[in-house]
Amino acid sequence: MRRSPLERIVNYLIAAGFTFFAAFPVLWAFNISLKFENDILRHHFTIWATPATLSNYIAIWTQSNLPALMWNSAVTTLFTVVICVFTGTLASYSLSRLQFRGRQNVLLFFLVLRMFPVVLMIIPLFIIMRQANLLDTRVGLALAYTAFLLPIFIWMMKGFFDAIPLELEEAARIDGCTRWGAMWRIVLPLVRGGLWACAVFIGIAAWNEYLFALMLTTSSGSRTWPVGLQLMVGEFQLPWGALTAGGILSILPVLALFAIVQRSMVRGLAQGAVKG
Amino acid sequence: MKRRLAAISDTRAFPWLLLLPAVALVFAVIIYPTIAGIDLSFRQMRLNRMDLGQGYVGLRHYIALLDDPIFWISLQNTAVWVIGTVILELMFGLVIAVALDYELPGFRAMSVVILLPWFLPLVVAGNLWALMLDSRLGIINAALQGLGVIGGFKAWFADPNWALPAAIMVETWHGFPFFGLLLLAGLKGIPQELYEAAAVDGARFWHRFVHIQLPGLRVIIVATVVLRAISLMNSPELLLILTGGGPGRSTQVLSLYAFQKAYREFNFGYAGALSVVMFLVLMIFSWIYVRYSNALKAD
Repeated sequence: MRRSPLERIVNYLIAAGFTFFAAFPVLWAFNISLKFENDILRHHFTIWATPATLSNYIAIWTQSNLPALMWNSAVTTLFTVVICVFTGTLASYSLSRLQFRGRQNVLLFFLVLRMFPVVLMIIPLFIIMRQANLLDTRVGLALAYTAFLLPIFIWMMKGFFDAIPLELEEAARIDGCTRWGAMWRIVLPLVRGGLWACAVFIGIAAWNEYLFALMLTTSSGSRTWPVGLQLMVGEFQLPWGALTAGGILSILPVLALFAIVQRSMVRGLAQGAVKG
Repeated sequence: MKRRLAAISDTRAFPWLLLLPAVALVFAVIIYPTIAGIDLSFRQMRLNRMDLGQGYVGLRHYIALLDDPIFWISLQNTAVWVIGTVILELMFGLVIAVALDYELPGFRAMSVVILLPWFLPLVVAGNLWALMLDSRLGIINAALQGLGVIGGFKAWFADPNWALPAAIMVETWHGFPFFGLLLLAGLKGIPQELYEAAAVDGARFWHRFVHIQLPGLRVIIVATVVLRAISLMNSPELLLILTGGGPGRSTQVLSLYAFQKAYREFNFGYAGALSVVMFLVLMIFSWIYVRYSNALKAD
């Protein structure tokens, strides 16, 4: 497709504008996190933090319970991912590869689940978790997370399964493979990339989650970092330099994971939603 | 064990067997709590007043809702919040998707950066913007003042007229990449021949956009708008972080109101009724919206 030079320039300007819009707040926060508290309060327009310091990072890491909070988040995230990958992969394989009556209805069922209001579920979940002694535990929180993440996982993962030609499996079946064998040895290795992408997506969502964590955790034994950080902002009134340093530290895992799998994750997200 | 599994896998029950763990989990953490929540909305349930018992009170909470001025304010704010945010995000998303569809050098890297806000936690996104909009420290106030747009420092989230628009701005920053990503994927799916045919006819940019790209994106636009509206309506997180519903009731939305009823006043029954109403509003909205978009398609 040919484009006029004017169109090219306009496109570059739009793309650059949005890139700036998306990145600026994060860069600005990073800048703040490197400043001394006095400099933060005094002037707004220093592009580079001069003099720069890592003292905010050291302060938030050693003088707050951020490490413990992040550890709780990591454990909860891991549980969530394991539960979703195990149950979701089996389900999406079944929905993508196997023919059975009611398949369309089950697919629709998982889509409609996304409409259920979280606030409505969260109150009974609170009561159930309390009865099951899962309130204020990391496993309980992870189970609650699957409530809104499993349907998304299944839809995304189904897209990756759909992309693999049926013939491969049929060939294996003709060679005497059972269904289970074909799934385990032929199909699963082929969707490995998609599986990683879906797992990372679920992981990021669980790592970031705030509302469930706020309600279902009450002590520092299971409290996750978004709740902890918000407490530091609201109640403890920590200095901004330390808070931004804490924010930057807590999004580092997200940035790293996102950078690794962004390409296949983007494809999976697009497929999952386009087909949905 | 493995051989048993292999044998089972050739029976007709196999598809359902694979679905079983997911479906069981979904029943435990979504279906049952939702039904219990609806049940709760017809009951008396105050965690701090267990002496009142947990008996059924019929429609009492729903009738009380009608007389609750905060409910009506919340409903109105919810409409502004959801519709305003979705329109802004859709516009931003469309512009960026059309621009990025050209595949000029450097666009791949830019699109990764543009996607970033979508993956940032709301706790960080919210506080980042609260800091940027802060009346003393915020760079936005400093910039606006420097440009002469505003006279003095402005506390955006303390002004009842500006708190909701400012919150919509923040949510738009967080959510527009979602639209951009999916619309871009949709644009990539439009066959090149359509563009080539249009080029022969001498179609300009605007024609291309209105006659090829928009029709090609219609299904995705409908789907993304529904999904996004659902998630915006359901999640009070950002407003909880930014304003807590204030100042006054200017940023009070339904989901936030239900949350506060449950977790500040421990009035679970009333919060349940609020959530049920929210669910109904959502269903009606989705139904009308999808129907209306299908009607458009038939033309």
